[in-house]
Order: sequence, then structure tokens, then C-alpha cells
Amino acid sequence: MAKVVISNISKSYDGKTRVLKDFNLEIASGEMFFLLGPSGCGKSTLLRILAGLVEQDSGSISFDDVDITDLLPEKRRAAMVFQNYALWPHLDVFENVAFGLRNANVKGAELKEKVMEALELVRLADLAKRKVPSLSGGQQQRIALARALAVEPSLLLLDEPLSNLDARLRDAMRNEISRICAKRNQTALYVTHDRQEALSMADRLAVLKDGSIRQMGTPEELYDFPADRFCAEFLGDVNIIPGREENGVFVSPLGNFKYTCKYPEGKLCGLIRPERIRFAADGDEGAFKARLTGRTFLGESCDWKAEANGVEFCIRESAPRSRKLNEEVSLKFDEGYFQLVPERD
Amino acid sequence: MMKLRRAGEYFILLLTAVFLGVFLLLPIFTVIGVGCDWGLICEVFRNPIYVQGLVNSFKIAVVTTFIVFVMSLVLALIYDRFEFPGKQWCGLLMLVPMILPPFVGALGFQQILGHYGILNTLLVKLGCSRIDFLGTEYKFWSVCAIEALHLYPIFYLNLVTALGNMDPALDEAAANLGASKWKRFVTIKLPLLRSGILAGGSIVLVWSFTELGTPLMFGYTRTTAVQILNGLTELESNPVPYALVLIMLVFSACLYAVSKLVLGRNSAASGKGTMGSRGVELAGVKRFLPPAVFMLVTFCAALPHIALIFSAFSKRYYGTVLPEGFTLEYFEEALSNSLVLPSIVNSLRYSLLAMVLAVICGVAVSLASVRWKLRFSGAADLLAMLPLAVPGVVVAFGFLSMSVRYDWAAKCFNPVENPLWLLAIAYAVRRIPYVVRSVSSGLEQTPEELENAARNFGAGPLRILTKITLPLIAANMLVGGLFAFSFSMLEVSDSLILAQKAQFYPITRALYDLAQILGAGSSIACAFGVWAMLFLAATLAAAGVLLGKKIGAIFKF
Repeated sequence: MAKVVISNISKSYDGKTRVLKDFNLEIASGEMFFLLGPSGCGKSTLLRILAGLVEQDSGSISFDDVDITDLLPEKRRAAMVFQNYALWPHLDVFENVAFGLRNANVKGAELKEKVMEALELVRLADLAKRKVPSLSGGQQQRIALARALAVEPSLLLLDEPLSNLDARLRDAMRNEISRICAKRNQTALYVTHDRQEALSMADRLAVLKDGSIRQMGTPEELYDFPADRFCAEFLGDVNIIPGREENGVFVSPLGNFKYTCKYPEGKLCGLIRPERIRFAADGDEGAFKARLTGRTFLGESCDWKAEANGVEFCIRESAPRSRKLNEEVSLKFDEGYFQLVPERD
Repeated sequence: MMKLRRAGEYFILLLTAVFLGVFLLLPIFTVIGVGCDWGLICEVFRNPIYVQGLVNSFKIAVVTTFIVFVMSLVLALIYDRFEFPGKQWCGLLMLVPMILPPFVGALGFQQILGHYGILNTLLVKLGCSRIDFLGTEYKFWSVCAIEALHLYPIFYLNLVTALGNMDPALDEAAANLGASKWKRFVTIKLPLLRSGILAGGSIVLVWSFTELGTPLMFGYTRTTAVQILNGLTELESNPVPYALVLIMLVFSACLYAVSKLVLGRNSAASGKGTMGSRGVELAGVKRFLPPAVFMLVTFCAALPHIALIFSAFSKRYYGTVLPEGFTLEYFEEALSNSLVLPSIVNSLRYSLLAMVLAVICGVAVSLASVRWKLRFSGAADLLAMLPLAVPGVVVAFGFLSMSVRYDWAAKCFNPVENPLWLLAIAYAVRRIPYVVRSVSSGLEQTPEELENAARNFGAGPLRILTKITLPLIAANMLVGGLFAFSFSMLEVSDSLILAQKAQFYPITRALYDLAQILGAGSSIACAFGVWAMLFLAATLAAAGVLLGKKIGAIFKF
């Protein structure tokens, strides 16, 4: 499977607003890389540029050090799983999967073998003769995946492939895609705006905003140590604590805290995820007092709203215990998870 | 590589534009070139006969459109508002009047309204005196009535489509805020229906303004279209028809512009994802009222055709309410008449060729504007839709003028030699809009992603076109093609003007000549008309099955 290098890609549709700005990215062979970002951040455009369906204004793309920038879409071997699957309704399942192989002049027994292998991979070999419109959403999604895998692409492109499925099916398909890609050691670029999808499946991911990467790394790195408020908020719930930095300590209305990492100079604020605030015993080192002001029960956890010295924040308690509203409690930040970022993005 | 592909797409668009330019714009400009003579135009307006022709044509257009509007609105509202038994069949019934052009329907109408026709016989039996419905006094209304009975499906289909696209929540919101049914109709529904009214109204207005066949068959000769036809014989010495055609073109453009100005464009009514409320379920006897209305209207519309069938099968149908005796004699005579069989073969040749040309051209224009989104494709799309606003008489006359004025046209398209290509192209050009709308709507409903996916999986442009695009829009192409074919089979203006030798006559020209023969001529023409009716019925039924409810989209522009 190919190593993919994207260098200085820029794209503007109207000549004024740049959807992608000097975009650079390197995806290792066999890696499942995620692009995560809000609508309009340029992630789908990048995917379509890689597939050759949209022409970039500048920049280059290479697969295994071979420049494919000027190759026609049909010559690229960058198979895509489309958001709406784009299965051809006038062809049956077998012919849908066989289409790319036929274009590559695969014929006869070899064709059949490869199609059935791809269908078996997605566990739908028994539906080969069915027409596409008679399949469920989940089945169509898997056929789209089989179609893309059948051609043994250098790069598998997935454009929000699970966005049309219900929550239960989405969970099942996440595991399925991860399993198949790992089995095939498939290099894949997966585009989504669903943070859970990205965090649960990615080897590495990048958060995009306004056509450029805000932060890139492993899911753990990005979740626990976001580079800025945008990344922090995009990847999950987060508490913003006002204050200032003085001699290596963050001074806030909640107290003085040590921080793990600090990003550029300027006016800073503190970040801590709700599950990284714990109920503590009175007198614990680093503990501070707060009053519980609200409660949202979520089953496996409970979100508490709390207030201390005019600062409101949220605590996520797993295995929730019985507490009362307006109760005064002692709280403590998990060590190593409090960090400082610029107050404004 | 990408640029080369783009260049190829532009080349296809250019070829199509050249075709439309030569065979649509050039004929029009040729007529304008000669007709744009101030002296000739003044002559038209100084001559009370020509002025009367223009006034009559205008009156026919306005009255016909009004009748059609009222009929279609009532039917469309009933169809949209209520659920009733046989609703789908009622929708199909609405297509029945299109089985025959009014030109042929006029034959049956004469049987009903003639001095010794069905209606007058009934009046005499009831002790009343005969009324000369086809006399000068009532001729105008007869022409309007038969044109209205032919054209209302076009208006109706547009209104039903517009109502279908309308978000039911808009009406429900008004009801929720206390608006009465009438208030909701006037302030919500009618304004939101403007696009449908514009689309249907403009076609009906221009169509009835320029209609040649119906007034001709009724002998209502003082209309501009008939005056143009009559002027053809002395064209060399009297070029007034050129000016008449020019004036008709300007009038049509003005009618279209005014209707657009008055009604404007409005597409804000469509809504998706709303819980569409079903129509009101009628209970008891009431539920049979809507189908009864549909059947009554269809019966009225089909009456001329029913009379036509009776005339064709009856030994004697003169001065009686019902036909006397049954015979196949006229069918046999029709088939043995020297004009008939060759005219069927001719029409088939012309129409098949026209269908192929219209489909090729229509698909190219649709691909350029919907898929390739080329820079000038919008203009090409507009050009391809132009024939809807340009009267058939103008285009036909333009072709004739071209063959007189240009040597190359005289060589290639001399109507006296062999009008095969001339008629096929003339038919095709005027049917391209139906193909364009049908194919464009197919392309719009087919996600572009399906073609992108094929490209992504290694297919080149030709393979994408043949394996993905064309199969996916096959039904739309077929429907557009069927319309092109069936309307060509019974086309009037081009056929009467451009087919000049009996051996090259198409069906309509042969029908016209047969109807003029005294004695059994009219019955033979009726028998021939029945054959023609069967042709169109078969093609329209096929189109209806293939396209279902979306058939209305074909008559939109």
C-alpha cells in the first residue's frame, strides 16, 4: 500500500476564497488517517482533489514517491467510498463491484474471484445478484466499501461514509471498516465531522479549519492536549478557566494550578475536560471548593454543573453517586491534564 | 489531459450550437431579413384583412388560454386536494386529448356541429331550429373550444407539477393562523402557482395564437397563420407573408414577455422533508364526484374523436344522432388511396429521423448544461428551448425562404425534390425542447456522484456515457424521443408548408387533402385519422408508463 505525500495544495472555487491553503500532509503506508473538521473546512475538497475529481490550483500529490498530480481520475488508483455510496442502481451488486476491475481489464475467473473476495470481506457474498435499490443502507454502505476494496487501491478514500446510517449501525460499521483496513494493511484517508468516529478509528488524525490543519497527531494527543480552543471544543466538551500565568503557575478564581503544557504567548486561558475534574476529599492537595448547580443524568455517567468564585464549569462523573444540588463539594483536577491555550482562536 | 477532455466537450457543444444556429436561427433571421421591410409591414397594417387576421388570432389566443386556465385549475386543484378511487387513471385520462392534434379533431367536430350534425339533429328533435355553429357567427368559438379541449392537458400538467412541488406546510401554516379556504387559495396557493401558470400559460398562449390546422379545417381563414399559408402560392409576386411571419414572431415574443412580466418566475414553493399531508379522503357518494368531473371533461375533449371514430366506421352519418350501419369500407378505401400508404411511410421516415436528430441534439445540450456546466451551455439550453416560443409557421416558412434565398439550401433542402432531410430537421428542431427538458430532468435527478464514482473506478468518458449516464437516463431519453416522434407524426405547419409534392406528403398533409375531397373524402379522412390516433395513443401510453407523474416536466420551460 502506498505512502501518500500531499504538498502545498491550494484550491479556490471562486478565485477569492481559498478552500485549501498550502496544504501539506504525509500519510504512512497502511495508515488510517482521519481529517476532522466542520462543514466547509475543505476536507471533502481535499479528498476529491486526491481522487482527481476536482483540480487543485497549485501543489502536488505523490503515491510512493510517484507524482500523480496530473493523472486523470481513472488512472490514479485512489478508490473512493462516497458519502451517498454512489452505487449504480441499474447494475446488480456483482456488477457494481466488478465495474472497476473490468476497467482494469480483469476478466473471467479472476474477475469473479476478486469480486467474491471483496464481497466476502464485507460479509455480503450472498447478495451478489441483488439489485442495489433492494438493499438496506448498511448493506449499500458495505457494497460501496467492497467496490472500492476490490480494485486494491493505492489509497482508499472515505467521504463521511457512515453519516447516513443510524447510531447502532454506525457503531457496527466502524468496527467493520477498521477490521478490513487493518487486515488489508490499507492506506486510507477518512473524512468526517464525527469526532467519535475519528477518535475511535484513526491511527492519526488532523483537525481542519478554514482550509488548513490546526493540529495533527494521534487521537490521544489531540484529545488530551489540544492546541487551541477550537480543537479542544471540536473534539469534546471542555471547561475554559479564565486566569493568568504568573511564574509558572496559572492563577485563576478557582485557585492556582500547575499546567502540563503551554502554547504561544499572549492572553491565555486554562483548559480541562469535564472527566478530568474529580470529586475529592476535603483538604486534598490542590482541591478547591465549589457548589453544584445543575445535573444531567446520562446513564453510565452524570454531568454536574458547578460554580466557584463566579466561574461555571462542568464535571463528568462516571459511575455517578447520589449528590444534592447546591451541595458544597471539594474538587480536584487530574494531574497532567490541565493546560494553557490562547484565549482567542 | 483534462484540458483536452474539456475541449472535446466544447466541441460537442459547438456542433450542437451550429446545428441549432443553421436550422433554427437562420430560418428565423431569413424571414426577418425579408420581412423587416417598413413598406411591407405598413402594407400589412393598412390592409384591413391582415389586421383582422391578427386581431382574430389574438382573440383566439386569449379566449383559448382563459378557457384552458379555468379548466386546468379546477382539475388540478381537485387532483391535488382529494383522494378518490381511480385517481391514477384520472391522471392518465388527462393525456387523452393529446392523442390527436386539434387539426384532426376538427374533422370530428364538424360531424358534431355541422348543419346536419349530431347537435343540430338533436335540436330539431327537441323542436328547436337548427343553429349554424360552423357559420361565421359561431366559427370563432368553435375554433377556441376545440383548441382549448386539445391544449388543457399542457396547462393541467404544469399546474399539477407546481402543486405537487408545493410544500403542504405552507398551506397548513395559513390554516393554522386562521385563514379561510378561499383566503388561503388567493393569498397562498395562487401566488405560489405562478411558475406553473407561467409555464403552461405561455405555451398555450403562443400555441393557440399561431395555430394553423384548426382554423384551416374550420374554414376560419381570417387568421394570420392561415393567411401566411395562403400567401405561399404567390410568394414570388407578393412578399407580404414574410412581413406577416415577422409580425407573428414579434407578437409571440411580446405575448411571452408580457405573461412573464405579469406572472414572473417563482420557484420558492417547493419544499423537501416536510410531512406532506395526503389529500382529503372523500366518503360515500362524494368520493365519486372527482372521477366524474375528470371523466366528463375527458368525454367532452374526446367527443370530436369519438365522432371521428363513428364517422370512420359508419355507412351513413348524416342528419342522425347515432351513426347508421357499420362498415370498414372507409378504412379499406383509406388504405387503398394513393395518398395514404405513401404518406404513412413518409411520415414514419421523417419522424424517425427527426426523433434521432432531436435526441442526439437534446442529449448534447442537456449534458453540456447540466453535467459539463460549460461556459456557454446556458445559452445553448435557451436556444434549444426557443422553438417552444417560436411558432411552427415561422420556422416552416423560414425553411422555405432559405431554400429560395440560399443556393446551398436550395441544393440540400429543396422541398420539391425530396423533403426528407428538410422535414426531418424541421420536425426535429421544433421537438428538441421536449427532449432537452426530459433528459435534463433525468440528469438532474441522477446524482453526479454516480458518474464521478465511475471515473474514480477507472472508466473513461465514453465508457461512463455508455455504461452509466445513458442507461440511467434511458427512460427520459425514451420519453423525449417518443414525444418527438409522435408530435412529428402529426405535425401540421411544416407538413403543409414544406411538403409540396403528393409523393412526399406526410400523414397530416394527406389528411388535409383527403378532407377536401367531396363525397366520401371526409369519411376516408376520418378513417385515416383513427389510424393516426392509434399511433399517438400507443406512444403516449408508453411515455406515461415510463415517466409516471413526472410527465408534466416535459411541458415546462
